Amino acid sequence: MTALTGEDAGRIGAPVAVPVVLRVVARWLGAIAVALLVFSALLLAKGANPVHAYSAMLELTFGRARSVQEIFIQMTPLVLGALAVAIPARAGLTNVGGEGQIIMGAVAACGASLALPQTLPGGLIVVAMLLASMVAGALWAGIAAAMRLVTGVNEAISTLLLNFVSLDVLLFLIYQPWRESPTGQPATRELVDTAKLPVLSGSKVHIGIVIAVIVTVVVHVVLTRTRWGFRISVAGGNSEAARRSGLNVNLLVLSALMLGGALAGLAGMIHFAGVEYKLRPGFGNQLGYTAFLACWLARHKPFPILVAAFVFAALSVAGDSLQLDSNVPAASIFILTALILMAVLGWTTPRKART
Amino acid sequence: MSLIVDVMSGGVRGGTSIMYAALGETIGERAGVINLGIEGSMLTGALGAYIATVETGSPWVGALLGGLAGAALALLHAYLVVWRGASQMASGLTLLFLALGLTSLFGASYVGQPVTGFSQFDVPGLASIPVLGPVLFQQDALVYLSYGVVPLVWWGLFKTRLGLLIRTAGERADSLTVHGYDVRVLRAVAVTLGGFLAGIGGAHLSIAYANAWFENMVSGRGFIAVALVIFAVWNPFRVLGGAWLFGMALGLGSALQARGYQFNQFALDAIPFVLTLVVLTVLGRRTLSSSPAELKRVFENAPPT
Repeated sequence: MTALTGEDAGRIGAPVAVPVVLRVVARWLGAIAVALLVFSALLLAKGANPVHAYSAMLELTFGRARSVQEIFIQMTPLVLGALAVAIPARAGLTNVGGEGQIIMGAVAACGASLALPQTLPGGLIVVAMLLASMVAGALWAGIAAAMRLVTGVNEAISTLLLNFVSLDVLLFLIYQPWRESPTGQPATRELVDTAKLPVLSGSKVHIGIVIAVIVTVVVHVVLTRTRWGFRISVAGGNSEAARRSGLNVNLLVLSALMLGGALAGLAGMIHFAGVEYKLRPGFGNQLGYTAFLACWLARHKPFPILVAAFVFAALSVAGDSLQLDSNVPAASIFILTALILMAVLGWTTPRKART
Repeated sequence: MSLIVDVMSGGVRGGTSIMYAALGETIGERAGVINLGIEGSMLTGALGAYIATVETGSPWVGALLGGLAGAALALLHAYLVVWRGASQMASGLTLLFLALGLTSLFGASYVGQPVTGFSQFDVPGLASIPVLGPVLFQQDALVYLSYGVVPLVWWGLFKTRLGLLIRTAGERADSLTVHGYDVRVLRAVAVTLGGFLAGIGGAHLSIAYANAWFENMVSGRGFIAVALVIFAVWNPFRVLGGAWLFGMALGLGSALQARGYQFNQFALDAIPFVLTLVVLTVLGRRTLSSSPAELKRVFENAPPT
């Protein structure tokens, strides 16, 4: 059950790494195959042709540059949101609050952009939004961390509850104080063009994906190569032993959860400044929960998170094609997402990790 | 005066779906399993009840099918966490997504279809009591049913053998194994029963409260139920009070607006969650110590890294 065993085994047993990878790949392919089969049966039951639906999904998702770019755009907040789960998980914490931390990050970014004069250079506004969002995310997660440390309230419960509070904060703001016009759609003023995240040349993909990949590498290094990364995993593995060996477990818990929150806040800012440009009632709908599950799919490891986020983003884009092409609601794709997760959660979990 | 009566009766009506779900979640958590998929069970319950009512014309058949649809989803959760060792948090959220997908796929053709669900009727005699009458006895059949289900769940949990076994599965699972009981089966029974009640809660939404089906119509009520269970410290009677209280908070804004007051509903919507957080903070370790022991174990386990 300690956080280190799996990784140590992998490192010590380097020669067997290849078969392990093969087994993992086989399990994943098996899981996805079963999920695809069950989803086909459901599509058939609804009178849609699964072969046609799948080929259309493949073609519309990967066959067009615009869709592929859309995948990269959608995976960006998922990567950061999943890292926001992975870091606290290292310290033995369950952060279900990505949803709320993402929203608070976006709210703070929007607040910063509204507070600053629009004539300011765009770069300055972006930096201000970046800082505001990370601070907001960290503080929002910090509430849960403080509750855990002071009164022993479990962070899985408090972060979950805080999600709904943050959603109401968002709605409160966009229905009244920050509403652009009292008669139009409830939404905030659009971000000035200069403060929108720049796109990569020749595409519609904003630079958020670059930030997400860099952050992933940094998180990997921090978790595996720094003293802090080692300490939080010791605290997560056996907090009593960590305490006895002189580690400040409380500080480690606080910092791990707040760092996670900061990354989720960053995800919110990037989604705001790179995609939405204004806050609307459905902002970031279920991004945080999807990221939570992406993190589980990736077993809380940074680089696999990139893959899991890509898969989820591709599925989401495929959902839109499902709606266009097979006349099936786009949300139906959640079935496929859930089936893949069920297969992975239920049939690829190492025995030892079970409770 | 009439505002207060309106808000209270609206609170009872609006809180009923949350109450059913929270009662169900209480049973599951008493056995040591937390089910975030309760939101999903409400969704499948709402759609199942709606389809059955449209097709058969009987809201009672609808409510039963809604319950079964909720139970089916919960059974999946039980299987995944009890037999396959999946993480409870991750499995619950996964099943919520499954329910979102399934109900949007199979519900699309039912959007906008007319339905004759449970209608409001006065309980003879009792309905004319001042204040209490309009609040408690001018409701629909599923609300009246909930008055019986609350004590039933309490009696079942605390006065029957099955209830004792379920609670033991949540407190000291090892001692059950020693006596030859299968903890896994007990947990699965508790979680599935919980899903059945959540399904009826969903049914109340679609065939009594809104009389309509639309995508994602539960919109967070299942999560309110999860919060409510903690707020009510795993006690069915407190669930009843809390559900009505939360229901009132959710309905207050629209009641005020109907009377011409300008009010931002979202400040009120946050009340159930903020209240629960406050209760958790104030009671702190005391609440935690009254939670089922095996549930605490669930949280203390670090996820595999």
